[in-house]
Amino acid sequence: MTILIGIVVVLLAIAGVPLFVVIATSALLSFAMAELDSSLVIIEMYRMANMPILISIPLFAFSGYLMAESGSPQRLLRVSRALMGWMPGGLALVALVTCAAFTALTGASGVTIIALGGLLYPALIAERYGEKFSLGLITTSGSRGLLFPPSIPLILYAIVASASVDDMFRGGLVPGILMVSLIGVYGVIRGARGKTQRTPFTWKEAGAALWEAKWELPLPVIVLGSIFSGWLAVSEAAALTAFLVLLVEVVFYRDVKLKDLPRIVRECMVLVGGILIILGAALAYTNYLIDAEVPFKILESMQSHVTGKIMFLLVLNIFLLIVGSMLDIFSALVVVVPLIAPIALEYGVHPVHLGVIFLTNLEIGYSTPPVGLNLFISSFRFKKPIIRLYLAAIPFLIISLLGLILITYFPQLTLWLVE
Amino acid sequence: MSEHGTTGWGIFRFLNHLESGLLTTLMMSMILMAFGQIVLRNMFEFSILWADPFLRHLVLWTGMLGAAMATRDGRHIKMDVLPQLLPPRGRAVLAVLTNLFSAAVCAVLVKASIRFVSDEMEFGGPVFLDIPAWIVQLILPAAFALIAVRFLIFAVTSARSAWRNESEPQAGEAAA
Repeated sequence: MTILIGIVVVLLAIAGVPLFVVIATSALLSFAMAELDSSLVIIEMYRMANMPILISIPLFAFSGYLMAESGSPQRLLRVSRALMGWMPGGLALVALVTCAAFTALTGASGVTIIALGGLLYPALIAERYGEKFSLGLITTSGSRGLLFPPSIPLILYAIVASASVDDMFRGGLVPGILMVSLIGVYGVIRGARGKTQRTPFTWKEAGAALWEAKWELPLPVIVLGSIFSGWLAVSEAAALTAFLVLLVEVVFYRDVKLKDLPRIVRECMVLVGGILIILGAALAYTNYLIDAEVPFKILESMQSHVTGKIMFLLVLNIFLLIVGSMLDIFSALVVVVPLIAPIALEYGVHPVHLGVIFLTNLEIGYSTPPVGLNLFISSFRFKKPIIRLYLAAIPFLIISLLGLILITYFPQLTLWLVE
Repeated sequence: MSEHGTTGWGIFRFLNHLESGLLTTLMMSMILMAFGQIVLRNMFEFSILWADPFLRHLVLWTGMLGAAMATRDGRHIKMDVLPQLLPPRGRAVLAVLTNLFSAAVCAVLVKASIRFVSDEMEFGGPVFLDIPAWIVQLILPAAFALIAVRFLIFAVTSARSAWRNESEPQAGEAAA
């Protein structure tokens, strides 16, 4: 019967039924089979109102959407260009860093490619980075910052896997920097070899750019500093961020008018509501999975074939790459993590390490042909055929896979700052 | 995003404005209240006791309203593999089925949440400021009902375009 439900669920999902409905269906069916009242499904969903950390998701997402609507992408771009544009491959580094910073705030929801891609792509072409390289860089950068705090996927993983959000934030830092550096090296080599232009460094421009961004640049320092020093809880830091961003963009810069706020709130809450209702449905479904000991049964059937941690990690990577190219990150998190977290623990994988592996795989899956979401967003945004984006993404995917291998098989990279 | 709600029935247009206004008000209260708590706690070593449960329920409310809006815009997270392989008419027929199915599941959730709320009415206590829990929980049946109705409207518009052999209507174009 469990297998039958599984088949029905997959068919529904492929047919295009919204995933929250699919998950709710499986929860309702399994509760009915166990002869439990359907109101128990709602009791599980209502647990969302008892999670103090959950408020950080709408607050960080709102901050990100508000910044995307303001002049902050331009200012961020100007600062990083003034500081790094003189280096070989300077603009490629600028693109990487600004995209990562933005994705950390907005999640891999396509906002990065839409908000920053339009600024970066023409600039990269003008400095003669070539169409293929520029497209590949921006497309894969759409999910590049997922490992940096305060990314929503990091928070969501912590909720679903009952890990500490602080630990996830710490754990993601070094692997995140590693992934950005690897692509950065590629960009520098490209920039040094090719006939790309550079922007000469001047103190005047650097000073002017920094001065223009004076209200925004301290934000990440304040927010991350307050979390890592233990002064504020993550949910409080989210409130501080939302308040400061609102103050800075609406009052100081006046980039965003008050009358624009309802539209921005709406845009942001369509995304967040879509995530939260999946989470709510998944809370009920997960509870059933654990009651029915599904992870335990999978573990039992796995143990004879998969012996040892290394082999488990290998299987995990392949499995997650497939998941990542088919499911978006939020549904993948709430559906798959409850299944694999107990199994991973049995194989001796630290929960924070599992989370970082998970997000790195999904970051890559986002740009993996044929159905990676970033490819479609880019194809739509830059009006290029999807096949050209497949080809453009390949070198970046190969480098990212190298990073994934390092992150997976050297747990110290993740756990260094956690322990 | 383009402005939706130029077509559709008046009542739904009104509902859309109401939702948008409510969502913005709730979001701004969430930000100001949560920030206020930090200021009070750090500068005056004082905190409003009911603020935390209030904030947690604001998240539930904004989340459910956001989900209802995602339904209206046709922007729920989904996989969408099969529809892309079908010709326009087949896609419209499939959309009728998937929307009807989604409406049915949400109707079951409405029923389940009414049961949940009425149980709370009988046995539950207050959540904050002497407000009984069932009142703030009403958002669950209300949002699921709104979502169910919206799926139903999508099913009708898809059926119409399947009948006329047109492609599926764009999200928000005809639906409320």
